[in-house]
Amino acid sequence: MAQKAGDRDRCATGLEGLDTILYGGIPRSNTVLLTGSCGTGKTSLALEFLIHGAIKGENSLFVSVTENSDKLLQNIIPYSFFDRSLIKSGKLVFVDLPILYERLGMTKPDLSMEEIDLLVAAISDLAKELETKRLVIDSITSVCYKLKTSEKIRDFILRLSKALSDLNCTSILVGEVAADSTSYSSFGVEEAIADGIILMANMERRGDLLRTLQVIKMRGTMHSRAKYVLDITPVGVLLVPLLKGGSTG
Amino acid sequence: MSPEMVSAQQIAKELSEMPPSSAASLQMSVDNYLDVIRGVVDLFANKKEMDTIYVTATISSDAIRRVLDALDIDSSRVYFVDCISHIMMGASSAQQDEHTTLVESPTMLENLMLKVEYLIRRSGSKDKLVVIDSINSLAIHNNNWILSEFLHILVSGLRSRDAYTVIFTVEEHSTPEINNMVSLVCDHGILAGKKEG
Repeated sequence: MAQKAGDRDRCATGLEGLDTILYGGIPRSNTVLLTGSCGTGKTSLALEFLIHGAIKGENSLFVSVTENSDKLLQNIIPYSFFDRSLIKSGKLVFVDLPILYERLGMTKPDLSMEEIDLLVAAISDLAKELETKRLVIDSITSVCYKLKTSEKIRDFILRLSKALSDLNCTSILVGEVAADSTSYSSFGVEEAIADGIILMANMERRGDLLRTLQVIKMRGTMHSRAKYVLDITPVGVLLVPLLKGGSTG
Repeated sequence: MSPEMVSAQQIAKELSEMPPSSAASLQMSVDNYLDVIRGVVDLFANKKEMDTIYVTATISSDAIRRVLDALDIDSSRVYFVDCISHIMMGASSAQQDEHTTLVESPTMLENLMLKVEYLIRRSGSKDKLVVIDSINSLAIHNNNWILSEFLHILVSGLRSRDAYTVIFTVEEHSTPEINNMVSLVCDHGILAGKKEG
C-alpha cells in the first residue's frame, strides 16, 4: 500500500484482513492492547503477528506469562507458514516471564515500585539486546495481578510502552476480560494507556457462537470500526465482515 | 408432451463460454440434478483442471461424493464445505475427510465464507470454481436480508480472486425474491430446468 505524505511508518501485521482494517498495519512503535475473553483467538493472532515479522526479518519476542512457551508451541495451531528455523535462528524468541521474575528475585505475590522499575528495565534491555521490532506480552493482565494498584499498573504500562517505543518496537499486550465485561481491560487502566485496542469476542447469534474482532482505537491511522468474524486456519487468521442481515442490534 | 432436460454437455458448454471471475446462476429441476453435477463438476471443472469448492447445504458431502462415484466422476479436485452434516449429527466421517471442511450450521454464513476463503488460498490450481448448492437450502435457514448480503460479499470476493461462481437454484423450490437476489449478483443465467420438448 502506498504511503501518503505525513503517514506514519506501518508495521504490517501480515494478517491480510487486519492490515486492510488498519489501512496497512499498526503504526510502527505503537503499543496495542489485544483484549478479549478466553477462547477468542488472542494468542493465535499475536503469535501470527510475530511469525510474519520473523519471516520478514524483524526480530520478534514473545513474553509468555501464563503458559510455559514449550507447551504453548505444542498447542498452537500448526500454521503452514511457521518454520521452527525461525526460533533456531533467533528471529523468533520465546521468554517465560516467571523465569525472569525468579532471576530478578521477584518471588513475592506483589511488586514494589522499585521492582516495577527493574521489570521494565529487564524487558526493555532484553528487547534492546535482541534488537526486537515486534513484541508480545501474553498476558499483561497476569502481570497486572502482581501490581495490585491502578497507579502501579499505569506506571508499569506507561514506562514499558515508552521504553519499547523508543526502540521502535511495535508491541501487543494481550489482555483478558470476563465474557460479560463491558470494559476493554480487567483493571480499566490498560485500555486508557494503549495506543490501540483490538477487541476479540465470542458473539452468540441464534445459538451460533462466532469469533469476532473489532478495532476500537488505533492512534496514528484511520481504521475500520466495524465488527469482523474470524477463523483460525492453517493459513492464518482469516476475517470477513459480520453480516448485519438488516438487524438493528 | 413430456419435459426435456438440458444435457450435461449443454451446461458445460454454457459455463465454458464465461470468462474467469464470472458468476452464474444455474436454475435446475430436482429431476436433473445428476446432469447438472456432471456438467458442472466433470465436463466443466475437471476438464479445465480446476479445483472445485463445493458448498453443500442440501445433502451431505458424503452423499454427494457417493453421487460422484456412481457417475464415475473424478472427485480428487473437489473440496467440500459441508454446512449440513453437523446439524444432522452425521459429521463423523466428514470430520476425518481431508477434502471436507465442516460448517456447524447453514446459519453461520460468515464461517461458510471463511471456509471458502481458506480453501481458495490452499488451492494450488490456477482457476477455481465455487459451487453453491443451493441458495434455496440456505434460504430455509436464513432470511432474505442476510442471504442477500452474504451473496453480495461472497461473489464480490470471489470475483476479485478470479474464481468462477455457480449458484444452484431449484425451480420447484424457488421464489421471485430468491431469483431476484441471485440475478442481482450473477452476470449469467443458465436455465437447466424443465423445458417443453
